[in-house]
Amino acid sequence: MSTPAPQIRILVVEDDPHLAAGVTENLRAEGYEVISMGDGKPALEWLRDQPCSLIVLDVMLPEMDGFTLCRTLREQGNSTPVLFLTARGDPADRVRGLEAGGDDYLAKPFHLQEFLLRVRAILRRWDWYRSSSDTPSGAVLQFAGNEVDFRAFRARAWNGVVQELTEKEAMILKVLAERPGEIVSREDLLERVWGYDVFPSTRTVDNFILRLRKRFERDPANPRHFLTVWGVGYRFLVEGES
Amino acid sequence: MKGTRVFQLTALALVVVSVVQVGWWLFDQRAYAIEKVDRARQLYAQQIQAAQALVDSGATPNSVSAMLPDVVIDGKHASLSPAVDRMLLTEKDRRIRQYAWEGGFFLLALAVCIAVIARALRAEALVRQEQESFLALVSHQFKTPLASLQLSLETMAMRPLSTDQLRTLIDRMLADLARMEAMVTQILESVRLERGRVDLRREPLELGGAVTRVLSHLEERARKERITISTDIEQGLYVLADPLALDVVVRNLVENAISAVTPVGGGTITLGARRLDGEVELSVKDTGVGFRPADGARLFEKFTRLHPGGGSSYYGTGLGLFIVRRLMQLAGGRVSAHSAGVGQGAQFVLVWPLASAEPT
Repeated sequence: MSTPAPQIRILVVEDDPHLAAGVTENLRAEGYEVISMGDGKPALEWLRDQPCSLIVLDVMLPEMDGFTLCRTLREQGNSTPVLFLTARGDPADRVRGLEAGGDDYLAKPFHLQEFLLRVRAILRRWDWYRSSSDTPSGAVLQFAGNEVDFRAFRARAWNGVVQELTEKEAMILKVLAERPGEIVSREDLLERVWGYDVFPSTRTVDNFILRLRKRFERDPANPRHFLTVWGVGYRFLVEGES
Repeated sequence: MKGTRVFQLTALALVVVSVVQVGWWLFDQRAYAIEKVDRARQLYAQQIQAAQALVDSGATPNSVSAMLPDVVIDGKHASLSPAVDRMLLTEKDRRIRQYAWEGGFFLLALAVCIAVIARALRAEALVRQEQESFLALVSHQFKTPLASLQLSLETMAMRPLSTDQLRTLIDRMLADLARMEAMVTQILESVRLERGRVDLRREPLELGGAVTRVLSHLEERARKERITISTDIEQGLYVLADPLALDVVVRNLVENAISAVTPVGGGTITLGARRLDGEVELSVKDTGVGFRPADGARLFEKFTRLHPGGGSSYYGTGLGLFIVRRLMQLAGGRVSAHSAGVGQGAQFVLVWPLASAEPT
């Protein structure tokens, strides 16, 4: 197994002591620093002043459930990625988890290898996002009077309105901005932003593009920057289509 | 199951059609009775007309009455005999009453049929719904220990482990298996109790002795968790109960109390019994995690786990208190839970009928 840098810290929030111990031991064996908690409330307290790279979060917890914890974190502007672990594995619950701001969703019982793979995939996606947002050229995107701050997940639109971006919106924007003028396929966007099999359909990507158009296009019905390439994907133009 | 439902729905449809038919028959028969009497009145009207013509032409009333006996002549005026008039009215009322009774009876019988079928359908739907949610809850409860087992096994398969690490994983797996076995036992027990498939005895039992027996099995665990258990039960207090059921309810409550006290790092559990008016009350009081007063009733519902993260109740199935309540109900007693709030400890009170005399 590859050994990641020691500073990668993962918070495990799971109320079942055996499962929590198993997950913690395996993540430690992979070289991560792991903190384990049994409920959403202490986790929320802890996260107030402690950073971490990933939260492995059980959905059914004694006092504050995982969905509520994740939603609260997002409302507080905390964008730490979340991997849900839960006994409820039906599609409706998966969608609920992702809507609450989760990055991935794994139903119990799960395979250890798959769990570790997903942890690595989420960390890799965020590692790419953070490192490319850390450079002066990558931290801010300016186009058509819009200014996007990737580190703060915030933007000022052409009409002066300040926009709070979700992590997914910021990530999509980042992928598109890295390849201006090029065609980016929906599958490529899914892979880069969500991972392999989290969402069942590429239509999700279309919905996010619609949201970006509403935020940044002067006339969202006739976009000049977020262009659809029929049957393939999208093309982002900084200057705008003439 | 599906066949029965189709049959019930068909029967319901037939009965509803029958109601409409009977209603129509009733309406039709009433109209027919009225029409029949009206037609008779028309015939009599012709007789009255003929009698009037005879009277007007100079015939004597006697000769007219002899010819048309249903007509009476009052001076020079012919009219229908009051007896015939009464007879017609009576006939109409009799027929309408008869149809009303017969039709009403049919409608009542059909309404009862509808009520019976609708009730059966509703009860069946309720059972189905309960079964579905029960199954969903049960499978959900099993997924966590299953996930833990799978994780332990895959860890063993994937990583080189020391003997101590292996021992830890094996102990964990054995505990997961024990947890699942306890769940299966409790689920079967709760299903059996729910369906009433239990034959509980009702015999006088000495409460102090029963409590001591239960505590002897739990004292070591309590000591390990730094919990002091004290009892205040007077000797010779007899309750009417089933010996096994009494054991189960007391053990459940004391185990719950241990689980509630463990996460707060030790404390006390006090068992006290007293005689009430025709009853005996046993209270199990602890200094543990407690619960919100509003959750007191919910605790006894199936699969309620208020502190799944609290101490050793990690392994609770959420069925223990459901079983306790059911057993108490079957014993003719009751159980209630009280707490001033989270962190304030809790008190569970069991009440049995007092046994009037010691067993002979």
